[in-house]
Amino acid sequence: MLLSVHPFVFLGTVSLLLGLTAGFVLHRSDFCLAGMFRDLFLFRRTVMIHSFVLLVTVTMVLFEAARMFGLLSVYPFPLLYAPSAANVIGGFLLGIGMVLAGGCVIGTLYKMGAGSVLSMTAFAGIIFGSGLYAEFHPAWAAFVKQTTFFSGKITVAQILGVDPSLTVLSVVVPTAALLITWHRRDAFTRTTFAAAYLQPFRAALLLALISSASYVLVGMPLGVTSTFTKIAGWAERILLPGHFADLTFYAGVPLDFVNRLTGPAPLTGGPGPAYDALAAVQLPLIVGIVAGSALSAGLLGELRIAYRVPGKQYMLAASGGILMGLASRMAPTCNVWHLLGGLPILAASSILFLFGMLGGAWFGGLLLVRLLDAGAAPASGKLCAQRRGPA
Amino acid sequence: METIEIDIRGQLCPATLLVALKEINARAALLRKGAAKLAFLIDNRDATGTIPESAANMGFAVTVERQDGWYRIEVSAPH
Repeated sequence: MLLSVHPFVFLGTVSLLLGLTAGFVLHRSDFCLAGMFRDLFLFRRTVMIHSFVLLVTVTMVLFEAARMFGLLSVYPFPLLYAPSAANVIGGFLLGIGMVLAGGCVIGTLYKMGAGSVLSMTAFAGIIFGSGLYAEFHPAWAAFVKQTTFFSGKITVAQILGVDPSLTVLSVVVPTAALLITWHRRDAFTRTTFAAAYLQPFRAALLLALISSASYVLVGMPLGVTSTFTKIAGWAERILLPGHFADLTFYAGVPLDFVNRLTGPAPLTGGPGPAYDALAAVQLPLIVGIVAGSALSAGLLGELRIAYRVPGKQYMLAASGGILMGLASRMAPTCNVWHLLGGLPILAASSILFLFGMLGGAWFGGLLLVRLLDAGAAPASGKLCAQRRGPA
Repeated sequence: METIEIDIRGQLCPATLLVALKEINARAALLRKGAAKLAFLIDNRDATGTIPESAANMGFAVTVERQDGWYRIEVSAPH
């Protein structure tokens, strides 16, 4: 054991610091994953997607370098499973949910930190949705089992039976060429008038470093939704103790791995409302993201509680949150786990999740425009294209 | 010249942009004649980029002013 402090103290401190930094970065750059995918379809805006590709590619290189230098305790990291139909379905529902809620599971946190009451509503929705999943977990788990293919294999490299470096290189080389082309066309830079704006490509690089630091030190990349489920379980145990006892979902302990930095005792955890390793990592991360964003907004004088918005938008935020909570468990992990962790190691489930989420973001965008009744997307798309004067 | 103020602070992303586009579109003739200008009050950092960009693409003059924790975007007739 390299450290003399209790594992939970170490994991919690690292996660809190990473969360604070991530929250600050996310707020300054308004690095909204939900917005990037939504606007790609709704407004044909690609500038943020370029930074997303940069984020995944740089994370991929950093994870692979960490693996080759023996810095990772577990590879692939825990709580990733063989691909199944659930990844696509979960991704699709999460895509719709995040667009309706105006932010994904992590976007909701940083927007909440800056005072968005709609995001607080979405947050409550996510907790409720996570708890709702427990009601049909046995049936869904059976469906996952039935639709799993390449059983026991997590990454594309494992499926193909090759070294991970080979699959990573075959993705990184063409993607790097694409990134260079975008860089030459200055397609990463945005013009905005937001105070102390952090360009999204800088945010992407910082988030790749944060995610890699988490994998090396904590043993897992960034994740938050298991703890949302714990909060739901905790509330359910208080409000409906008899019913809670019947739910098998909360009894599971899917996390079980050894982090070399914290000693030989395995780190274990599950969705149940206990302060286990999952909570020790995720709760400080969640608090950190909210506080980091609040700090960034506060320093700019932009921390304001804004709640006077059309009532319909509260309904949208709540229903989007519920969908995200449900989808995070069905997928069976959230978009941050898949996109910032699984995709960079080319986990087959995360690739399927991405396809599902793209479909969900497209469909969610259509739905949102209809429900908001704030102007038709095709018309606004046309407006953007009608260049009548000097831009 | 009349200034039509529209407060869309705190709204769900991307309602801020959609509302702004809808308002600009509905009053395009008025704006082009120079009879009125639109002032959007927003607190969405992303929209400080997207609203001016869209309005400029439609040929309007745009100014963005930072206020006390929020932003005021004015859209008026082309220069």
